Amino acid sequence: MRVTVCGTNCRAFTKMCRPTDPSLGRATQARASRGWRRFAVLVLAALAGGAVSAGEPDPLGSVMWDYHHERLLEGRPYVFDERVKVMAPPFAEDARQVPIQVDARALDGQIERVLLWADLNPIPRIAVFQPGPEVAPLLAIRIRVEQATPVRAAVLTRDGVWHVGSSRVDAAGGGCTAPSVVRAQPGWEDRLGQVLGGRYPRGEQSRLRVQVSHPMDNGLVGDIPEFYLNQAELRGADGQPLATLELFPAVSENPTLTLQLKTDQPAELWLRDNNGNEFQAAF
Amino acid sequence: MRQHPAAPIAVWAALLLMFGLPVQAAPDYRLEPRQIAPDTWLVEGRTENFSKDNGGDIVNVVFLATDAGVLVIDTGPSRRYGEALRAAIARVTDAPVRRVLLTHHHPDHVLGNQAFADVPIAALAGTARLMADEGDAMAENMYRLVGDWMRGTEVVLPDEALEPGVLAFGGHRLRLLALQGHTGADLAILDETTGVLFAGDLIFHDRALTTPHTPGIDAWLADLDRLGALAWSLVVPGHGPIARDDGPLRQTADYLRWLDRTFTEAAARGADMNEVMQSPIPTRFADLPLARYELIRSTNHLYPRYEGAQFRLLAPAP
Repeated sequence: MRVTVCGTNCRAFTKMCRPTDPSLGRATQARASRGWRRFAVLVLAALAGGAVSAGEPDPLGSVMWDYHHERLLEGRPYVFDERVKVMAPPFAEDARQVPIQVDARALDGQIERVLLWADLNPIPRIAVFQPGPEVAPLLAIRIRVEQATPVRAAVLTRDGVWHVGSSRVDAAGGGCTAPSVVRAQPGWEDRLGQVLGGRYPRGEQSRLRVQVSHPMDNGLVGDIPEFYLNQAELRGADGQPLATLELFPAVSENPTLTLQLKTDQPAELWLRDNNGNEFQAAF
Repeated sequence: MRQHPAAPIAVWAALLLMFGLPVQAAPDYRLEPRQIAPDTWLVEGRTENFSKDNGGDIVNVVFLATDAGVLVIDTGPSRRYGEALRAAIARVTDAPVRRVLLTHHHPDHVLGNQAFADVPIAALAGTARLMADEGDAMAENMYRLVGDWMRGTEVVLPDEALEPGVLAFGGHRLRLLALQGHTGADLAILDETTGVLFAGDLIFHDRALTTPHTPGIDAWLADLDRLGALAWSLVVPGHGPIARDDGPLRQTADYLRWLDRTFTEAAARGADMNEVMQSPIPTRFADLPLARYELIRSTNHLYPRYEGAQFRLLAPAP
């Protein structure tokens, strides 16, 4: 049985769970009541074993939504959820370095993993992020875009529902097929795997920022095969994983990453590329 | 009564003939030069972004109309603009255009060159190099931004390299300054005869400034110090209204210092780019046209340098 929960109904449901505000207009209450009825119908339909396929339409109207829902979210239930904040500039000033920031702290404690992708990129997937309990569900990363595209973050919560946040980036394009900047710099091989960065206190928490020297070849430029960092792990003092990251070559050259640790404990970032090179940096 | 099937078409055809066919009229820049000093004419652009409405007419272009002929400073964003400029010059003077000077390589300043291909076009050597390297890509982007206004526009490289010093033209003593703050190769021209400073895009006025090729804010501020030390009584910024005082210069410097402070502080607290792009803009800049848009662009251009200065080596290459 597959159920696609419709976000409109979930919002209505949330509304119903709040104490009724007497100042709410009648129309609002009527809307909430209609939403409640629709929710009930949906639940009944689900219980009856009927597949509810009409998911909430994509607020950005992307032609790729259904495809990515099937392929990346495995067709599982989803809601568009404003609590998943996707920050991105409205336009790509440099299509090779478009900053994306995902903040799902409003869902902290319920998160299985976070999946990032750009709908219209030739390589849509950006990253899969699994923050453990000591890492905030917050990630900043820079990506390449080939054309104007919606950028998504889908947060899978323990109840099996994807919570999807979106943003749209306009672009002249060409970021995924532009010649490598890194490879044009003399001596880049010697710097491969060099990690720059820092640790920045945020109250009790710590911002961790890194920039890793790596060309992140995506296989779409010249005759250069894929060569990119595909795994990262933030580890505590005793080596236990605090968060894991799977990376895809939509990520920009010399990847710049920002994470947030909830404590002031020591931490290390371990990285590996698809050629098996391993790199490690201590904060 | 049954209508003849062709009747509606005939009615529309008649209406079209009466009110004109809905073909797109060729866009017209309607350039209106106005005299701002002896022999000195300004064609003032709008303080907007490039758009299909303005055709890229967002830039200040100047010409000196003297008995010895006309000297043009910058040629505008497109071939069509260059032609309109030449026609506007001809409405002001019968004297022939003798020379073109380009302040820097940005497309809104040099893509009208085709209309002046019959006269020497001079620029700093660095400007010619940047035009050769990036001109085509910039022209392509202009087609995307302003569309049909660009039709037929191609990059025409300067054919004369300028050196800093004095250029005499039609009774004017023009001091040429080779500066770098805006693009790495920026020509500022002080007309010592009239006291007019043509600052190019080293000075923006009442329009958020742009930073895509700046070597750095420090270099730009140093240039402004140099311009501030010269004796002039009227300044023509690259974008925005002219002024008889140093208000535009101070505004440009003030904005640059604010950018520098904003990026430095953001990098020190570990902010990522999107957070910097959303920084609060002080009231004195918030109302400038394109303030947020240009902050987003400048963050892209400059913030990585500030991050880089903050970062330390966590792990050397293995």
